[in-house]
Amino acid sequence: MKKSLKKAARLLAAVLALCLTLTGCSRGLSIFSNYRRLEMVELVRTITVDGAEDGVNVAIYGTAGEKQEARMYQRTGPSIGVAMNELSLLPLGREAVLSHTEELLIGEDVARERLDEVLDYVERFSETRLDIGLLVVRDSAAWELVSGLAGEETPASDVLAGLSRSIDRVGQGYIFSCREIVTSLAQNGVALIQCVRGVQEEKLFENRGDLNLAPAGFAVARPDAIVDFLTEEETLGTMLLLGKYRSKNVDIPVDGAVLTLSVDSVKPEIKPVFSRDGALERVEIRLTLGANVVCMAGLTDLRQAETRHRAEDGLSQRFGDALTAAVKRGQAMGIDFLDLYGILSRREPLRMEDAVGKNWDTLFPGLPVEIAVESTLSRTYDIIDPPEISGREEGDPWEKLTGSLKDN
Amino acid sequence: MGKTDGITERQLTVLIFVSLLSPMIRVLPTAAVMLGGRASWLSPLPALAAGAALTGLYTLLLKNAPAGMGLQEAAEQGLGPVGGRVFGVLTALWLGLYGGFLARSAAERLLSTVYPNGNPPIFVIVLLAAAALTAAGLTKSLARTAEVLMPLLLAIVAVVLLSAAPEVSSANLLPVTYRDWRDILYGAVPIFNVAAAFGYFLFLRGRVVRDGEQRPNRFPWLILLLAVAFGVTFFTLGTLGTNLSITMENAFFMVIRNIRVFGVIERAEAVVVAVWIVTDFIFLSSVLMIAAEIWKTVAGVKRRTFFVLPCAALSGAAAFLIAPDAFALLKWSEFLIPAINLAFTVILIPLALAVGKIRKKY
Repeated sequence: MKKSLKKAARLLAAVLALCLTLTGCSRGLSIFSNYRRLEMVELVRTITVDGAEDGVNVAIYGTAGEKQEARMYQRTGPSIGVAMNELSLLPLGREAVLSHTEELLIGEDVARERLDEVLDYVERFSETRLDIGLLVVRDSAAWELVSGLAGEETPASDVLAGLSRSIDRVGQGYIFSCREIVTSLAQNGVALIQCVRGVQEEKLFENRGDLNLAPAGFAVARPDAIVDFLTEEETLGTMLLLGKYRSKNVDIPVDGAVLTLSVDSVKPEIKPVFSRDGALERVEIRLTLGANVVCMAGLTDLRQAETRHRAEDGLSQRFGDALTAAVKRGQAMGIDFLDLYGILSRREPLRMEDAVGKNWDTLFPGLPVEIAVESTLSRTYDIIDPPEISGREEGDPWEKLTGSLKDN
Repeated sequence: MGKTDGITERQLTVLIFVSLLSPMIRVLPTAAVMLGGRASWLSPLPALAAGAALTGLYTLLLKNAPAGMGLQEAAEQGLGPVGGRVFGVLTALWLGLYGGFLARSAAERLLSTVYPNGNPPIFVIVLLAAAALTAAGLTKSLARTAEVLMPLLLAIVAVVLLSAAPEVSSANLLPVTYRDWRDILYGAVPIFNVAAAFGYFLFLRGRVVRDGEQRPNRFPWLILLLAVAFGVTFFTLGTLGTNLSITMENAFFMVIRNIRVFGVIERAEAVVVAVWIVTDFIFLSSVLMIAAEIWKTVAGVKRRTFFVLPCAALSGAAAFLIAPDAFALLKWSEFLIPAINLAFTVILIPLALAVGKIRKKY
């Protein structure tokens, strides 16, 4: 018994001694070579990369200290790797931690010339995640935009996170992550990247920056660089087909009134149509929309089916135009950024393989695409119609009812 | 040692399962996707059929072998003392070299994912030293360790894979049609190659203490192992797509870098690295133990402890010599190592057993 107790005591002492090596103490027994004191860590949330005279300018935006003050550090280098390396020498011996970076913003010049380098860095560097949202900044340098967004108490990352949460709810875009972009580039040779621009607006809050953030459509990227930008309408059409659309409010004029409709449900159906000899004849795209009335300016009777149909037709026209614009733009560019080939191949794999083979790039620009949109107005929420239209009518309701029964 | 170092059939099977998790997670999905493309997520199915056939073959060949007879003893009976010993020396030498490859691969994986500026030798030395110490110890200690860790490892793999589910896109997995059958079969080769390594563990059969009429039933464990293979391939391919998966050395790790567990915890790769290290350690320990066990039988001595150190030294030398850098390691792992592995587990070992069976030695 005594022997086993002694053995247990020795074992316990050994385990406790080993525990000393797990402490964060910098010197002595610690097995950690990469310990970090919390107050010396700069937790980076946003990175910007812009073109510079002799390479690139990289800026990191982080928060540090008890008050989580927003800070920005900038370095220029011949390549992203070198500039990032220089950023590891932060003032006061702080150390930048990139593990939790949320957004990466690149200037238009970098997007046109060094996109592959940016993506390669994010992919290869073990500290960064691939799920970082990538944005292209138009009309200004990325660092200028981010600096303009930030206020004394509002880190730019908070503004960007807000955009990330809400951009697809207003139908103005979708922030693709680096993973989605590199996957699409590797798989299809094309990817879409969300663009933003800074808008000078009246400063509403003292603690906010001078600039506001505005979505600026999608950029179309090839593996090494972006090649073109889509308009707002083309971006909406692209979102509808790619399933990246969540909702959008649109104004539809009906009978002199203006209905604001919230389009919350979008179901695209894309199918190939083959000729008798098995050739791909055309592509049919059918979009089914579901909308609700958000508000109305003026008067119109929505209890009348014809009125509703007119509103639905107006909505179909609006979204159909967006869809057509996106498809036409893709065909004009000769770039299938809508991944129509992938969608059609998943629907009819064997027939598509037989009909198209490896000739999609040649076929796609001239391929007839038929677009049909069908909308349904589901509800008007608590207000059915203004009282001027659906209000109580004159006369006795009972007599009216029995009278109408007699007439029938 | 023999009587006090007995393990049950279940413990041996769990040891095989935990050990093979290591190469399964290392090789997949890149090797399978490289050969099978988009359809490779279905490759675990033919690999299961082939694995079941090989399991059945081994069971059939060892059906009448008496309890306590290891594979080396069976080979020596079947091939004769000289032939059996030559077979044993060849296998033990190969396992020594294979151990070096495993240690070097484990080190490289840590360097490319967690310690970018580290040096391979320190990882190789620590791993080999720990494995050699374990291999010199009792078989039942190693088997018990595997048994205790197995539920934890499975739970981690399951949570990680489920957390990766939201990122999976059908566009990366489909279409797959009957025309892809060749790709599915090609993709099954590396998966089967890993599963077939269970043949080495039959050299430890001599340590198994039979409890009554207990018969080995490894099929459910094979299904579990290939379910892990399916999960790793499906979720990685579904997240990264074919072309990106094959450009990465550790595509599965890239998926893990992005996951958020229950939407709360991010950067959970440390837990997965723990799975790697534990399974690498158990597999390497097993390989050294098997090699030493073979040497012990060949030399006709009672204790294998003496042979562990030379085996570890051979592994260490192999680890440093075969791959001075990651490019050389990649070349070895692309064809030669898998081919030799397959030659041993699918041809040489069954052939040695078949000769004994034909000669009615057991």
